[in-house]
Amino acid sequence: MLSREEVLKIAKLARLTLTEDEIAFYQKQLTRVLGHIQDLNQVQTSKEAFVQHVPNDAESFREDRAAPFANPEGLMRNAPAVENDSFLLPTIVEHS
Amino acid sequence: MSLEKYESVIGLEVHAQLMTQSKMFCRCPNQFGSSPNTNVCPVCTGQPGSLPVINKKAIELGVRAAVALSCEIHPESVFARKNYFYPDLPKGYQISQYERPYSTQGHIVVRLKSGDEKRIGITRIHFEEDAGKSNHESYGTLVNLNRAGVPLIEIVSEPDMRNAHEAGQYLRALHSILRYADICDGNMEEGNFRCDANISVRLRGTEKFGTKVELKNINSFKFVEKAIEYEIQRQVFAIESGEKIIQQTRSWNSGKNVTEVMREKEQAHDYRYFPEPDLPKLMISSKWFEQIKKEMPELPKEACERFKKAFELSDYDASVLTSSKELAKYFEAVVAHCKNGKASANWVMNELLGRLNAAGREIGDTPVSETQLAALIKKIDSGEISGKIAKTVFEEMFATSKDASSIIKDKGLVQISDPAALESVVRKIIEGNPSQFAEYKAGKVKLLGFFVGQAMKETKGQANPALLNELVKKLLDS
Repeated sequence: MLSREEVLKIAKLARLTLTEDEIAFYQKQLTRVLGHIQDLNQVQTSKEAFVQHVPNDAESFREDRAAPFANPEGLMRNAPAVENDSFLLPTIVEHS
Repeated sequence: MSLEKYESVIGLEVHAQLMTQSKMFCRCPNQFGSSPNTNVCPVCTGQPGSLPVINKKAIELGVRAAVALSCEIHPESVFARKNYFYPDLPKGYQISQYERPYSTQGHIVVRLKSGDEKRIGITRIHFEEDAGKSNHESYGTLVNLNRAGVPLIEIVSEPDMRNAHEAGQYLRALHSILRYADICDGNMEEGNFRCDANISVRLRGTEKFGTKVELKNINSFKFVEKAIEYEIQRQVFAIESGEKIIQQTRSWNSGKNVTEVMREKEQAHDYRYFPEPDLPKLMISSKWFEQIKKEMPELPKEACERFKKAFELSDYDASVLTSSKELAKYFEAVVAHCKNGKASANWVMNELLGRLNAAGREIGDTPVSETQLAALIKKIDSGEISGKIAKTVFEEMFATSKDASSIIKDKGLVQISDPAALESVVRKIIEGNPSQFAEYKAGKVKLLGFFVGQAMKETKGQANPALLNELVKKLLDS
């Protein structure tokens, strides 16, 4: 079972504030998730298994030619708020 | 404060943007100063389903850097995801390299003001993509993703530096190498060459490192040196007053000349690195490596050796003139026009650099162009003006950017090489100084210098010195 402190540390990394009920809930839920990862650990893999699906001789490079994307405005339209052609977000304060 | 009791340990991390046309993993232009969010696409804004493709040129420039820094190159390396949460990082992770960087174990030899050389180790170089830029306004944070995905190399030094000067010299040397080899623009104000410094202090003679403090994003060589110097004193002072150094990130406030806390560095920085599943291993074949090596541009050390031979310069002169690519190019252009290497070196180093330094300017905005300086040197070599007059002319050129010939004409500074004209001046001087003339005649021959000096003064320094000397001697002895 994950400790209360471990849940609070993960919550801090995720920038989340949890209620007492939620802490108890995630203690259980995250323990189950990690348990599943433990199961996966039994699979024999090397550290590089992630990239093994790509053959080493694959032509993996692109020539250095710039080609601007045709619809950057379209990307901006996904944003909840835009100001001065920039994505507008709530003020970011670095946590200490 | 007993600074001498302590020794500081400094390591530097440099982020250098690579001079490519397009970004690291997409075809958006790699361009500074465009309108916000115009150089963006689904890949660099992290849209679902988009996939990165490696820019070949970025890899070539990175390999070039590794060669220039005498590093080992690994034929196989792996990209990794560095996960953290910040709005200018749209994917929620930065593609970087972690456990298996493409290059490790290099070094740079730097020259110190004592005249000694010091070898500073390079731990590793790895590829990564830049993040976007956040501007913090009163009403919120504005995010511009033009920079997101710009190719970078991060160059991590060994903790080999022991004071601010060494750190400054390391950075200058690194900057110069990256500029020479056309790897990075090196424009620190635009942020395409950025430096973080790790600093700790320990009692001299002890082995164990002290707690380190990280100084972030300092944007000039001067500020790096000042910030490190300040930080060393701050840490020593803290220890001496019984405080504990806290591991934290600080920034340099150039207005107040102090370092300030940005954030405490704690275990919260868990980046959960793992190999990037969207990219294959980075394979650098020996054939490709040899090709890149063959196409290496000249490096500062090679330029220095070439200058020594080609222009018969001393070790010191050649190293000053090749300290930056711009300066070396300027010097070579001057020589190409006036064909006098030694004189060009003297004029560039003593007159031009002296004045530029005094004015706090770089060679890039010199008011005297290469051809203008060459024309001035030619006028000395042809005897049109004396070296002394040339200095006056140069002063005017530096102030006004005018050509030497127009200044000489406007001020009537042409050297007097007409024997008849000079003879009449010399006669006048002799007649005006009968007692000195008598002493000369009585055997005090060193008074020759006095007459030459007077005649030179009379001509406002414009007399041809060799001719004047000869005439004075002839007339005094006749």
